Amino acid sequence: MNRYLPLALLAFGILAFATLMLVIAPGVQIARHSVPPQLEPYTEQQARGRAQYVGLGCVYCHSQQPRSPDQAPDGERGWGRPAVAADYVYDQPHQLGTMRTGPDLLNVGARLPSEAWQLTHLYQPRAIFGWSVMPAYPFLFEIKPAAEPGDTVVVLPEAFAPEAGVVVARQEALDLTAYLLSLDRTYPAPADALRDEGYATMESGS
Amino acid sequence: MPLTIGLLLGLSFVVSVLALAFLIWAVATRQITMQKGDAATVFGAEGAGHPDVDGTHLFDTTGIDRISARPVLVLIAAAIFWLVVGSLFGVGASLKLHWPDWLTGSAPLTFGRMRTLHLNLVIYGWLSQVGIAGMMWILPRIFRTPLKMPGLPLAGAVIWNLTVAAGGWAIATGWTDGEEWLEIPWQLDILLALAGVFFVLPMIQTARKREVHHIYVTGWYFLGAMIWFPFLFIVANLPGIHYGVEEATTNWWFAHNVLGLWLTPLGVGTAYYFIPKIIGKPVYSYAVSLLGFWGLALFYSQVGIHHLIGGPVPTWVVTLSVVHSVMMFIPVIAVAVNQHVTVARNTWALKQSLPLRFIAFGALMYTFASFQGSIEALRSVNTITHFTHYTIGHAHLGAYAFVSIVMFGSVYHIMPRLLGREFAWPGLIRAHFWLVVLGFAIYFFALSIGGVLQGLAMLDATRPFAESVILMKPYLEARSIGGSMMTLGHILFALNFIGILLARPGTAAKPVVAE
Amino acid sequence: MTRKPTSSDHIVDEKFEPWERNGRMPLPVVWVAVALAIWGTGTLLTTSGGAPETAVEAAVQQDRPVDAPDSGAALFAANCATCHQPNGSGVRLAVPPLRGSEFPAQGPELVANVLLRGIDGPIRVDGHDYDGHMPSFSAAFGDAEIAELASYVAATFGDRDDGVDTATVADLRARAVGQGTWSGGEALAAAYPGLPPQPAFSSASVTPVSADVSALIFEGRDDVWACASCHGDLGQGVENTPRLSGLSADYIAKQLRDFQTGTRANEHMSFVAKGLTEADIAGLGAYYAGLSVPSTAAPILGGDLKRGETLALVGDWDLGVPACFSCHGPSGFGVAPNFPALSAQQAPYTASQLAAWAGGHRANSPLSLMDQISKGLSTDDRRAVADYLASLPAVPAGSTGAVAKEGDGHDL
Repeated sequence: MNRYLPLALLAFGILAFATLMLVIAPGVQIARHSVPPQLEPYTEQQARGRAQYVGLGCVYCHSQQPRSPDQAPDGERGWGRPAVAADYVYDQPHQLGTMRTGPDLLNVGARLPSEAWQLTHLYQPRAIFGWSVMPAYPFLFEIKPAAEPGDTVVVLPEAFAPEAGVVVARQEALDLTAYLLSLDRTYPAPADALRDEGYATMESGS
Repeated sequence: MPLTIGLLLGLSFVVSVLALAFLIWAVATRQITMQKGDAATVFGAEGAGHPDVDGTHLFDTTGIDRISARPVLVLIAAAIFWLVVGSLFGVGASLKLHWPDWLTGSAPLTFGRMRTLHLNLVIYGWLSQVGIAGMMWILPRIFRTPLKMPGLPLAGAVIWNLTVAAGGWAIATGWTDGEEWLEIPWQLDILLALAGVFFVLPMIQTARKREVHHIYVTGWYFLGAMIWFPFLFIVANLPGIHYGVEEATTNWWFAHNVLGLWLTPLGVGTAYYFIPKIIGKPVYSYAVSLLGFWGLALFYSQVGIHHLIGGPVPTWVVTLSVVHSVMMFIPVIAVAVNQHVTVARNTWALKQSLPLRFIAFGALMYTFASFQGSIEALRSVNTITHFTHYTIGHAHLGAYAFVSIVMFGSVYHIMPRLLGREFAWPGLIRAHFWLVVLGFAIYFFALSIGGVLQGLAMLDATRPFAESVILMKPYLEARSIGGSMMTLGHILFALNFIGILLARPGTAAKPVVAE
Repeated sequence: MTRKPTSSDHIVDEKFEPWERNGRMPLPVVWVAVALAIWGTGTLLTTSGGAPETAVEAAVQQDRPVDAPDSGAALFAANCATCHQPNGSGVRLAVPPLRGSEFPAQGPELVANVLLRGIDGPIRVDGHDYDGHMPSFSAAFGDAEIAELASYVAATFGDRDDGVDTATVADLRARAVGQGTWSGGEALAAAYPGLPPQPAFSSASVTPVSADVSALIFEGRDDVWACASCHGDLGQGVENTPRLSGLSADYIAKQLRDFQTGTRANEHMSFVAKGLTEADIAGLGAYYAGLSVPSTAAPILGGDLKRGETLALVGDWDLGVPACFSCHGPSGFGVAPNFPALSAQQAPYTASQLAAWAGGHRANSPLSLMDQISKGLSTDDRRAVADYLASLPAVPAGSTGAVAKEGDGHDL
């Protein structure tokens, strides 16, 4: 341990090996799986909305990876079937997330398919859920004295509506909503589904 | 399951375990150990193997320090600036989780961006810079060699800080790479990598041109970190090649290794240097420190996928990371033996040295954080804690209570020696210590208890999701209180730092003593 | 720890640089390392291999018909006996009998035709009139299964041993495309003149919706989202948003009023219900009660369908759980006004409601019946029964054309 080069080479080698195991090997295995036929690439508007989702940091509170019934009641909450690797082929950057300060969103487009609902919720989550801690996003909307043709007016109860005029969704809000509504992986999982089955193995006791 | 992958998996673990077994055997039979001759070159002809009671291991390093002083000072100053800014964003993000209608008017102040700013500013602005500063101070000393190319790190510091500022601006405006720990856009990451070269090159050059043959254990950690972090950073940031779930495994391979193979070696290496340095006694065992270092390299490098337990990734890679996470007990116990025993036998020094209080506390937190991490990676525990604030508490136990607090001690130790004068307000140091320790205790216990309750609520289908949100609120409020105390401590730290910078040159360097 | 400071116990040696002694490796460290290595190898061997049957695979398999080409008797027991009873006696006033019925006696081809298209309209069997709500099994069964089942039913209850082959069924299936459900006995009698006279079918059985209610359903209002925007254009539901079509008008109205008063808690629906008038509520109930839409539900929760079937048909008295069908009617098609239809309901919705009752978060069922029942069910049982109910065909059958139309729409 007194020579620099062997120390450096061994340290590098160990990390290279870890990279092989954690990055390259899973990458190769994942790439071998075919794309589910029902999974559509994002449209231009959905991709713009996805950029909003990424840029606003939604991932820090919302995961996009329902767990299996062996582990958690995600299915019963309407969050969808257990996610598999092939569900994410069009995702870049990935938004799997590690927090559920809010609910999982991988199938929010199936679970809450209403554009009007999503806009109300983005404008003021507490208009629907009094207990919610989600940020409000008023900067994605504008208040106009009256709606113009083509405007999408946000449905709001009186307590949350502006004193005068109407709340109209900006393009950013419409894009973000289009992305949220596109989140729908309710098609059946492919037969060669790839996911962590560690909990199923634990349950079956093998 | 493809046969090739099963084989690779088996191979991986067998290689790790065999390497470890070989190490234990080699150490036990003294195949690799510090030779008397090596020790003599380091410590002078008489010194090796004897307790240091007669000053044999004393060296005058002031000449060496003078060369590294400038880059170290610049890096520490910049790091403290980012610490304060990053902490303020952290407190802001924390407040927003229980005051969701506070500051909602503009996009840069939304929770998702403030939290991201907090993370990136403290990791890249504070921890990395102060860690590099520590390396630049310590490496020339343990190598008895003045820092080579001392101008490069100054250029590096300029580029690094401008890039961190630009990265912060990018995140605030929504321009992000969108993966946790990798938010700074890759275009800016090129500049960070360039600055990194400017930091690393002089230190590697110093190591290669060193005056002593022996490399003290701190040196292994620092040299390892300087190999690992650039590799991690470049592979994870390569644009365009990662997508979908493969990107997720790369993301967590990177994110956990930033902690394990960058911040941890910085913290452990710094503690390994300052604990014996301040106490004035050698560490307990060369063999144990070897086990600690190589165990860290072998096991920590493969733990990242425990962030995706139960997710859409192959079972084998998750299990691999779970097993390696638990194996982390080995190197952590090794480091604990070497560091805590030295401190426990010399508790008098904690009274005398304020920096040692920080560093010994931080080293203890390394043990706790790692044990907690190993337990947390078990599937049965993870199923409760995953997706909850418990994880946030754990991350702060590692990155804050361990690495940051060690770095506080390191700065308090270095500054008087670097400037040749003492801190103007030693009382502020004590206030800083108690604010961050108590603040962190509130922070940690609130999130850990709340996180477990949150996880249990989410696992119970008969309780609506709302319950998991509502029950967290008091714990999130407590977290804001703890976080504010920590931030107040940082502000005192910054004031004291400004104080010592502006003070008139006076008395010669003296260690910071408590009473 | 508190020993007397010695001469070396003070910080003076500013120039001391740290070094390592050659202390021995403590043996416990070695033991811990060996123990962990053994544990690690064991864990990797047991948990990294592919699990024999994973949850996803199980869920995938359950998307397909559960019973592979079985004998007619087995198919009958599994799919028909829940309503028509194992001996074909039917349920008085609710489900027409097969034993003694004129219909199977017309031959297996008629039976196959009914299985393929279902019946939605009044029907007279053995001198009694019934409100015919026969589901269509066209999507659930292949031609071979329909042939087996039709032959069995005609032979057992109609004394007709001639049987029907797969090719004939395929031909019938081809001709049934776009035909929709049989409009009661009258339509069948037109095709099979051997049948006795049948009650007249009234095409005006669906109450027309007012323009106001229609706008509410499809466009929403200033303070109410459109019903269809979440529940689908045909009220078919999705995930934990319930299927509404075919629920009784009284049941829907009661739920909406409960949402208004807070007796039933749901953030989305109390937001909506606050803005509804009594006239809206009556109109919505009538509209959704009148819809006949094929099932879009599927067993997606990975529940045990056999267990679910047992719970639905006979209950589990050890748990204090009666059969679902004892109150919700044969095959779970609902008993107005208090017992909603369960068949074809979205599985996550059923499971989440059972969970809500069990957790005390829904408490608006008559006599608190559901609270007690749900508390008896485990998580696995809730998933099992929800999945089983989702696998049942919708009653009334509805026409396949409707699904195609809705599939083209954006709001599925």
